[in-house]
Amino acid sequence: MNGFTILDGGIVGLYLLITMVVGIAIRKYVGKVEDFLVARREMDVYLGIASLAATEFGIVTCMYAAQNGYEKGFAGAIPGILTFAAMFLVGYTGFCIKPLRDSGVMTIPELFQKKYGSGVRWAAGVVIVLGGLLNMGVFLRTGGDFLVTVAGWNQKYLEIMMTAILIGVAVYTILGGMLSVLVTDFLQFIVMSAGLIVVTFLILGKVGWGTLVNTVDAHYGAGGFNPFLNPDVGWSYVVFNALLNTAAVLTWQTQIARVLAAKDSATGRKVYTRTSFFFVARFLIPGIWGIAALAMLTPEQVGSNTLLAMPKMLSMVVPVGLMGLLIAAMLAADMSTDSSYMLTWGSVIYNDIMAPFRRTKWSEKKGLLWNRAIIACIGVFLMIYGLWYKLEGDLWTYLGITGTIYLSSMSVLLIACCYWTRANNWGAFAAIFFGATVPVSTLVLQKHGPWTAWIKGNGPLCGIATYVIVAVAMIVGSLLKPQAQVATESSSLKPVEGVQA
Amino acid sequence: MMAIIDGVLTMLKGHWFWGAITLICLAWYSTVTVYVAIKGARDIRNMLRRLSDS
Repeated sequence: MNGFTILDGGIVGLYLLITMVVGIAIRKYVGKVEDFLVARREMDVYLGIASLAATEFGIVTCMYAAQNGYEKGFAGAIPGILTFAAMFLVGYTGFCIKPLRDSGVMTIPELFQKKYGSGVRWAAGVVIVLGGLLNMGVFLRTGGDFLVTVAGWNQKYLEIMMTAILIGVAVYTILGGMLSVLVTDFLQFIVMSAGLIVVTFLILGKVGWGTLVNTVDAHYGAGGFNPFLNPDVGWSYVVFNALLNTAAVLTWQTQIARVLAAKDSATGRKVYTRTSFFFVARFLIPGIWGIAALAMLTPEQVGSNTLLAMPKMLSMVVPVGLMGLLIAAMLAADMSTDSSYMLTWGSVIYNDIMAPFRRTKWSEKKGLLWNRAIIACIGVFLMIYGLWYKLEGDLWTYLGITGTIYLSSMSVLLIACCYWTRANNWGAFAAIFFGATVPVSTLVLQKHGPWTAWIKGNGPLCGIATYVIVAVAMIVGSLLKPQAQVATESSSLKPVEGVQA
Repeated sequence: MMAIIDGVLTMLKGHWFWGAITLICLAWYSTVTVYVAIKGARDIRNMLRRLSDS
């Protein structure tokens, strides 16, 4: 183990200082709630690319992608290729995101109100926050596990260290909102990318491409290269990830927030098409790190938790100086993810869940105060949930299931909202109900009851079933509603630009 | 230089798909990082100027 020296500490300290100073300095530009939540829609293409890429790559991403590489070989990078395809197509065609951005809303549930009514807006807000926060709950401990393992720090400092990082991120997010998030994301994108690229070249140089390929071949045979031949991947995993990643591209709050903060829908679409290939790197680079861990470490060195194989390998191969860059890169990745997640889920709580309490217009000052208080509360939740929830099964599947709580119903609602005239609130409520209950039941049954083993081994099938059930619920629910009632209610809803009423 | 060319050719032998996608990924990511660092800084400057003006 190379360890963490004073030189490495200096690099990390300098990065943290610059990020905090810049993040806090931006607060002077925040005067209105719109500045705080969507940066007054002033985001241009390249800032959008940096921000989207930095947000969507956290330590947790690196950990589960590396775990996929360790356990499935190159076939484990398939979710990245599927996300690339989905994001490129959505950006190129403007599918859903064009009408969404053109409508001028700040969140997706706000758009739903115009099509389905205020009840659906509120329910959608609750489901989005529930799914998003459960998903985000594991970030803190997973990030801490990576940092203490790779730097060789004592495990007992994990909670203190992650709490300090979370407080730092919360400070600039609370003060500067989306503006601080965008600017710090830009810095974090540069530091993160430099670290990822340099460490990958180092690993390729030290381990060698031939060794990586031979290791995958020896452990997984053809299944390590072809997902359809891998018993741990297979068609159900590929189909589930295709559905999951398409839904995420359309509705995942941190991704869609970039479309909503863009200057116009054309800018939002360019951000999507030009960032899409990053999602291949997002899985492939950590996947290669995971395969390198498989090549270099014995099963005894890895132990029972394969999630820690990659950081253990990095602690052995990364030299002094570069270790500082690696830790700074990973901190950058984690901080940009945390800040954006806190802000974007906070924006749904304020804009949609609290909408019934804002029947009379609030002053900008009161709105900003509430937004800041909500972010502080999310930070406290993260600290508590993140430190006591014990993860069962593999990380990517947990994230997939918790994300499905809202991705399944919200993606169906959004598509129907934009392109299906007959869609109405009966179908929307049915979709939200089934979209939430099926994944929550899966999570509960994964820990209790006679089906524990089957569910743990068939997470992707449960995920596919959720998407199918939700789509059927939307269609059946909408068709069951009497047309006379639909016509009466439609006349009372405001029309949405670019969206079929 | 020859070592780099040898390395690239090795990556394209055997399981060429993953070798090629890894090479494209590293080349694309390295280029985009530099490009976005320059253009993104300009975007921030313009964004803050517009916010100040309004």
